[in-house]
Amino acid sequence: MKNESLFEALSARARSEPPPSVDVAGRVIAILNAEQNRVERMTEKPLLWLAAASSAFAVPAVIVAIMVYNASTGPLYEISQAIAWVVQ
Amino acid sequence: MLSYPSHMVLSILPGRTVSLRAEQLLVELVYSLMDSEFVAEDRQKTNASLAAEHRDVRLSLQGDSDAYTRLIKQHQSHVSRMLWRFSRDRLVHEELVQDVFVEAYLSLNSYREKAPFGHWLSRIATRVGYRYWKQLARRGETESFSLAEWDELPGKSPDQMDPGRAADLLHRLLGQLRPRDRLILTLRYLEGCDVAETARRTGWTKSMVKIQSMRARKRLEKLFAQAGKGLRE
Repeated sequence: MKNESLFEALSARARSEPPPSVDVAGRVIAILNAEQNRVERMTEKPLLWLAAASSAFAVPAVIVAIMVYNASTGPLYEISQAIAWVVQ
Repeated sequence: MLSYPSHMVLSILPGRTVSLRAEQLLVELVYSLMDSEFVAEDRQKTNASLAAEHRDVRLSLQGDSDAYTRLIKQHQSHVSRMLWRFSRDRLVHEELVQDVFVEAYLSLNSYREKAPFGHWLSRIATRVGYRYWKQLARRGETESFSLAEWDELPGKSPDQMDPGRAADLLHRLLGQLRPRDRLILTLRYLEGCDVAETARRTGWTKSMVKIQSMRARKRLEKLFAQAGKGLRE
């Protein structure tokens, strides 16, 4: 098949093409340093961490409060219904 | 078995009454001993450079930017060569090379020192290049290519063609295929990787590579046939 053999021959020819020379060392190190600084800045923000910790405590506290409320209102409701019946 | 010219054989043992066959055997023995010395020397050098590379990796993990700079400088031409297959736009190409080294640093913890660092980088480079092609495909950006260009190729041997022109033509031709097909054909033909190397670079199994390779070749033929230019025998 001529197309395939032509394709293979061109591929072999293309393999000898030299790639452009690059020097990315400086930029890569700059990017990594910037990333490192960003991470460090994040760890240095006390208010951010305080807010995160508050949220972490608040969420389970609300869940527990709802559960307790539901559990406690049931018997109270029953007692109030019984009292209402006696009063009548 | 290697054969040596008679003047070479005789010059080693001048004036001796040894049969030619025996001389040849002696010469082969001498050469094989010399070769084994060179091989041992090469192996020592390779081991030393691998040890230095592993030391630089460990130092980089501890935050030594000079060590990582050394690793980049050592491998950037190899990575550049691979990514030149993925983009022929110099700016994009440079950005891709940069991305490879940033990504490599961020996942340096996963490098196990079982294989040379360059092999590990080539997997990342393939992943970065493939991701770039998928982004292009999602955006519907394909480079222009006309099959007429293919037909207009000179009738003379492709060996006469400028390598850059050949690479550019193939790059645009393969750009008409889906990223997966393009990747497999690029690695197998343009990079000249065998099945095992392609599997290592892509992270696919060898049988997967064979199947994908077959499908991609069929799609390429279909591309020629659709344009009514296929099977020019």
